[in-house]
Amino acid sequence: MQERKDASFSYKFPDGDRRLAFSRQPSFRQWEPHLSSPSPSSSTNPLMHRSHSFKPYLARSDSTVSVPFLEKSEKKDSTWIVLMLAAVRGVANGSRPMKRLALMISLNVAYSMIELLIGLFTGRVGLVSDAFHLTFGCGILTFSLFAMGVSRRKPDETYTYGYKRLEVLSAFTNSLFLLFLSFSLAVEALHAFMQDESEHKHYLIVSAVTNLLVNLLGVWFFRSYARVNIVYWKPEDMNYHSVCLHVLADSIRSAGLILASWLLTLGVENAEVLCLGIVSVTVFMLVLPLFKATGSILLQIAPSNIHPSAFNKCSRQIAALEEVFEVQARFWELVPGYCIGSVSVQVKNGVNEERILQHVNGLYNDLGIQDLTVQIDYR
Amino acid sequence: MERQSSERSHTIDITGNVCGDICTTPENPKICAGAACDLSNSTTASRERDTSMRKLAIAITLCVIFMIVEVFGGIKANSLAIMTDAAHLFTDVGAFAISLFSLWASGWEATPRQSYGFYRIEILGAMVSIQIIWLLTGILVWEAVQRLIYEGGEVKGSLMFAVAAFGLVVNIVMAFLLGHDHSHGHGHGHDHDHDHDHDHDHDHDHDGITVTTHHHGHNHSEKDEGEPLLKKTNEKKKRNINVHSAYLHVLGDSVQSVGVMIGGAVIWYKPEWKIVDLVCTLIFSVIVLATTIKMIQDILEVLMESTPREIDATKLEEGLCQLEGVVTVHELHIWAITIGKVLLACHVTITQDANADVVLDRVIGYIKREFNISHVTIQIERQ
Repeated sequence: MQERKDASFSYKFPDGDRRLAFSRQPSFRQWEPHLSSPSPSSSTNPLMHRSHSFKPYLARSDSTVSVPFLEKSEKKDSTWIVLMLAAVRGVANGSRPMKRLALMISLNVAYSMIELLIGLFTGRVGLVSDAFHLTFGCGILTFSLFAMGVSRRKPDETYTYGYKRLEVLSAFTNSLFLLFLSFSLAVEALHAFMQDESEHKHYLIVSAVTNLLVNLLGVWFFRSYARVNIVYWKPEDMNYHSVCLHVLADSIRSAGLILASWLLTLGVENAEVLCLGIVSVTVFMLVLPLFKATGSILLQIAPSNIHPSAFNKCSRQIAALEEVFEVQARFWELVPGYCIGSVSVQVKNGVNEERILQHVNGLYNDLGIQDLTVQIDYR
Repeated sequence: MERQSSERSHTIDITGNVCGDICTTPENPKICAGAACDLSNSTTASRERDTSMRKLAIAITLCVIFMIVEVFGGIKANSLAIMTDAAHLFTDVGAFAISLFSLWASGWEATPRQSYGFYRIEILGAMVSIQIIWLLTGILVWEAVQRLIYEGGEVKGSLMFAVAAFGLVVNIVMAFLLGHDHSHGHGHGHDHDHDHDHDHDHDHDHDGITVTTHHHGHNHSEKDEGEPLLKKTNEKKKRNINVHSAYLHVLGDSVQSVGVMIGGAVIWYKPEWKIVDLVCTLIFSVIVLATTIKMIQDILEVLMESTPREIDATKLEEGLCQLEGVVTVHELHIWAITIGKVLLACHVTITQDANADVVLDRVIGYIKREFNISHVTIQIERQ
C-alpha cells in the first residue's frame, strides 16, 4: 500500500512494527523548529517565524513530493468552476485511499440518483427514502474526503497547528452519524414492533443488494481498518477507520434488510423487528470505541498512549532537581501520535535556565512528546 | 507612556492579578496552584452557569408539559399531525437535555487526565445539538417530499394551521426565556461585576492597603483604554454557547412553524395547492440551516485549535517583539478551550544579558493587558 507520507509529522513506531518500513520516513520536521538548540539543517531557512517568511512550496528535505491541495491564491473570489477543478486536481493527485474514497462516493451518488429517479417515476416511497438516506451518507463521506485533502496544508496564521485536526473532526462526524443511524434503526424497529401488519417493502431488495455490493467494495478498499478497536498512530488512521466503519455499517444494514425480506417470505413473524434491532445494536457497538477515541482527542484529554504513571514519573524527576520547587504540566493530543504539552516550573532565583530546559525537554522527549512549552518562573 | 511607568512600578500587582480569586498561592502569585489558572471555576462563572442551567431546566419542563398535552390531544383527536408535532417537541427536549448536560459537565473540576478542565464538553455538546437540528431539517424535507409523492393523504388545512400556531406560541415563549433574558441580565452589569469581583477578591487574598490602592488606580486607567478593545469580546462572551444553541433550536422550530402555518392557511383556503406545503418546508429549512452556519463556524474554529477571531496574532507578535529585552518570538500558538477562554503558548528569545524574570513578567503583563489572555505559557530562551 503505497502512501505518500506527509513530512510534517514524525511518528515513532514500536520496535518490530514494520508496517511502513518501506516508506522513507522524513528525518526532519519542517514547521516545528527545534526547541532549545538552533536547527542545524538549512535547506528550509531557519523557520522560526511561521508564514511571514518565504516557505518553499516543495521543500527539498522532503523525501516525497507533496503537492498542496489548493493553491493559495491571493484573491478570494475564486469561482465555483475553479474550486471544482482544484478539488478534482486535488483528488487526482491525492493518496490512494483518497482516490478510492472518491470512487466510492461517485458510485454512491450515481446509484442514489438512479434510485431517486426510479422512485419518483414509479411512485415508490421506499426507494425515495432510501435514496435520501444514501445521499446523506454520501455527504458525510464527502466531508471525509475533503478533510483528507485539506489536512495536508501547511499551518498558517490562523491555524497555527495545521489542518490535521480536520481528520479527527471528520472521524467524529462520521461516528456521530453512525450513532444517529443506529438510533434511527432502533426507532424503526420499535415502529415496526408496534404496527400490526408488516410494512416491509419487498421491492427494496434490489436496491439493498446493490447497496450491499457497493459497500462491500468500500470495505475491501479499506480492509486494513476493518476492526473495532484500533490503535491510532497517525491522524489519517482515524479518518480511514471512520470511513471503513461507515461502509461496514451500511452494508450490515443492507444485509439486515435482505435477511428480513427472506425471513418474511419464510413466514417468520416480526422478522424485520428482529433484524432491525440486531443491526442497530451491532452498529452501536461498532462505532462506540471510535466515538470515544475521537471525542477524547477533541476534548483534550491527556494522551491515551502514554500511561499516566509515566507523566507522574517525569514530573517527579523534574521536581527532584534541587533548584525546582514546583512543577505543573498539562498535555493534550492534537492528533493521534502528536502530543503537545505546557509545563510550568518554579525554580530558585538565579538558576541557569538552559540546563533545566534541556533536562525537562529530554525527559518528555523520551516519552514521545515533541511539542513542549516550558515556562520557568523564578521565585 | 504613563501607563508604562505605572506598569513597571507595579509589576507584582499585575502578575498578582493574573490568576484571579481562587488559585493564587500565598507565597507566589505567579504560578497557578489550583487545577487551572482562570480555567478554574471562579464564582462569577459558576453563577453564570447556574443561571443558564436554571433557564434550560425551565425550558425542558415547559417542553415536557406541552408535549404531554399534545400527546393526549393527539390521541383524543386521532390526528397524526399533532402526534408528529409532539415527537418534534420530544427531540427538542433531547436537544435541551444535551445542552443542560454540557453546561453541567463544564463545571466539573479538572482531573490529571483532563488537565484543562471540562469546558470543551460545551463545544461538543453544541456540535451534537446542531447536528440534531440538521438531521431534523433533513427528516422534515424528506417527509414533505414523501407527502408529495403519496398523493393519497388528505391534508386538513385547518388542523395544520391550529397545531402550527400552538407550536409557534410555545416556541416564542421559550425563545423569550432563553434568548431575551440573557443579554439583558448580563450586558453591562456583567462587565462591572467581573472587574469588581477581581478587585474585591484580591483585597481579601492579599494583605496591605497600599497594594489595593495602587491596584485600583491601575485598573481604572486600563479600563478606559482597554474598554473599546475588549468590549466587543466581552459582549460576545456573554452568550453561553449551549444556551445559544438551544435558542437556535427553538428559533428554527418557530421558523418551521411559521412555514407550516402559511402552508396550512393556503391549503385551508385552496385545498388543491398541496405543493405549497413542500415549497414552504423547503424554503424554511434553508432559512433554519442558514441560522446555524455562524455557530458551526465558531465551533469548528475552536475544535481546530485555531487562533480565535478576536485576537490579532500578528499584532501580538509585533507588540511582543517591541518589548525591551525580547529579540524574537516563535512557535506562537493561540487557541481557545471554549468560546471566551483563550490560551497562549510561545517561545521568546531574549538578549544574552537580560533578566529572564523581568522579561517574563513584562511579556505576561503585556499579553494580559492588551489581549486579556490570562493563561499563558512562555518559554524563555537566550539568544
